[in-house]
Amino acid sequence: MIDNDKIISELEKKLMTYGGSSKTQNIGTVVKNTDGVIAASGLSKAVMGEKVIFKDGEIGTILNLDEDSASIILLADASSIKEGDSLKTSGQMLGIDVSEELLGRVIDPLGNPLDDKPKIKKGKSMPLEKIAAGVTDREPVSTPLKTGIKAIDSMIPIGRGQRELIIGDRQTGKTAIAIDTIINQKSNKEPVICIYVAIGQKRSTIAQVIDRLSSEGALSYSIIVCASASDPAALQYLAPYAGIAIAEYFLEKGKDVLVVFDDLTKHAWAYRQISLVLRRPAGREAYPGDVFYLHSRLLERSVKLNKENGGGSITALPIIETQANDISAYIPTNVISITDGQIYLQTDLFNVGIRPAINVGQSVSRVGTSAQTPTIKSVSGKMKLELAQYRELAAFAQFGSELDQQTQKQLDRGKRLTEILKQPQYAPLTENLEALSIYAVTSGLMDDIPLESFQRFEKDIHDFARKHYQNVLEALSTGEKPTEQTLKQIKKMVEEFKKRFE
Amino acid sequence: MNSKKIEKLVLASYSDSFLNQKKVNKISTLLSKSDFKKYINGLRLTEKKKSLIVSSPIKNSDLKKFEKLFPNKKIIFKKDPKLMLGVRIVDNDIVYEFTLKNSLDKILNYIERNYD
Repeated sequence: MIDNDKIISELEKKLMTYGGSSKTQNIGTVVKNTDGVIAASGLSKAVMGEKVIFKDGEIGTILNLDEDSASIILLADASSIKEGDSLKTSGQMLGIDVSEELLGRVIDPLGNPLDDKPKIKKGKSMPLEKIAAGVTDREPVSTPLKTGIKAIDSMIPIGRGQRELIIGDRQTGKTAIAIDTIINQKSNKEPVICIYVAIGQKRSTIAQVIDRLSSEGALSYSIIVCASASDPAALQYLAPYAGIAIAEYFLEKGKDVLVVFDDLTKHAWAYRQISLVLRRPAGREAYPGDVFYLHSRLLERSVKLNKENGGGSITALPIIETQANDISAYIPTNVISITDGQIYLQTDLFNVGIRPAINVGQSVSRVGTSAQTPTIKSVSGKMKLELAQYRELAAFAQFGSELDQQTQKQLDRGKRLTEILKQPQYAPLTENLEALSIYAVTSGLMDDIPLESFQRFEKDIHDFARKHYQNVLEALSTGEKPTEQTLKQIKKMVEEFKKRFE
Repeated sequence: MNSKKIEKLVLASYSDSFLNQKKVNKISTLLSKSDFKKYINGLRLTEKKKSLIVSSPIKNSDLKKFEKLFPNKKIIFKKDPKLMLGVRIVDNDIVYEFTLKNSLDKILNYIERNYD
């Protein structure tokens, strides 16, 4: 036991040296406040991206350093800051406090809770800006991230650590794909942690998303970072970086994380607004010159780490909204070139009832079949080719009435494939059911089912399989290539069900 | 007028490190309102750079020490009882804190950050 006197004398020693350490601060004065962008003199020791604190505790971050002034974006209400106010540097870069407590919460890009739940305890501070993991720390993407959407899992597979762009006009189901993917993670043994970053969206839309995730039981493994349309442009600009910083906290723990950026078009708008107020030279469509770097440095942080570095991954699903299906506009082409593929949604398809309205021809996953399990790979191998042939033939068939039997068969198969890829919203499927549906069509087992009854047939056969052919579903859940025996059993099951189906 | 020119005018307003009243009056009559504002700001900034503010809760008789430490600066003393103990030195945009108030603030910040 330590002597009490000894402890007290140690404390007295501490007291003798107490307060001897000095603190050096770098201060400045507000010169101008223009719409949330502040010019300040002084701050000679400040560095780019450093957090600064104003007189009343408001926070800002430095975006421009000039010879005798600094430009700061304010992360709070701008009205209270006036010319002549003092501010000081903090010596810290902008960061967000992250802990497991964030799961199930709705926060702003600075980590402040926006829901009515209890206060979030301080966690580890993660920097918003960080250089992405190096080449040697990474490994190729090889594990699938199942979306539960047949069209995506079979033809445009997404791997853990991939960056897959969801692109399309307004009201084509972009957010729906992202939400379905989040909901589907529930079926994993260890759910992938999902971060949904809402940038510049209506608060009502965000509320709908939260409500849906909550009702589907997906909120427990999700975090929602929210910078709505009514928030300052500075917060909208920081939101995706906050999302990826949170993801990096879980990545360090070896977890798999999915981040949805909804959407990066509005993020680019927010950055354009800030840049114009900062008087940076405007380029194409008035975006600043570094708008490409804005998104590339964000999406580069999406990673699949190797075993030595924990083996975790960050999968990014950025969303881009196009105008009149123009994917060759400035921001869409930028993000297409950064990502590892895109899911292209089209209004025309949506309007004719093909939902999800994925244009299979223009959608691609550059990771390819390496992000598919052998089960899905074996049943959907020829699907993309058959669909491409169908589209070509369908366009050609419009001009002639007489078609040979082979062509007619191909057209018929194409129609059935298109039909089977339709899927209602918020109803992601497990891998075994996806494989069952796809195999039933590609093997011709559903060739005699009328197209109008396809959806109902599919739904009913899933229920039938769950009740009577659990062994088949289990065999399809292993991830391995289905054996001849399993395929025979599927055939038997479909034939048996057909007899019952009205 | 750009900021470089204003800076030149500010430097020209000094004679032997003191503001020359005649020069200042002459310059002020020639400037537009916005440039005049910039000119005043420039003068203020230059004055700030030339001076050193020493704050302490009690009247400090040892100002000569600071004069020796900062020979080219004009030393301005400010009495500030809020600092409790010690001294705060403001050299243009750098603040050196050797005060009890600063130490207590640091403790308070630490507690706020780590405990609810």
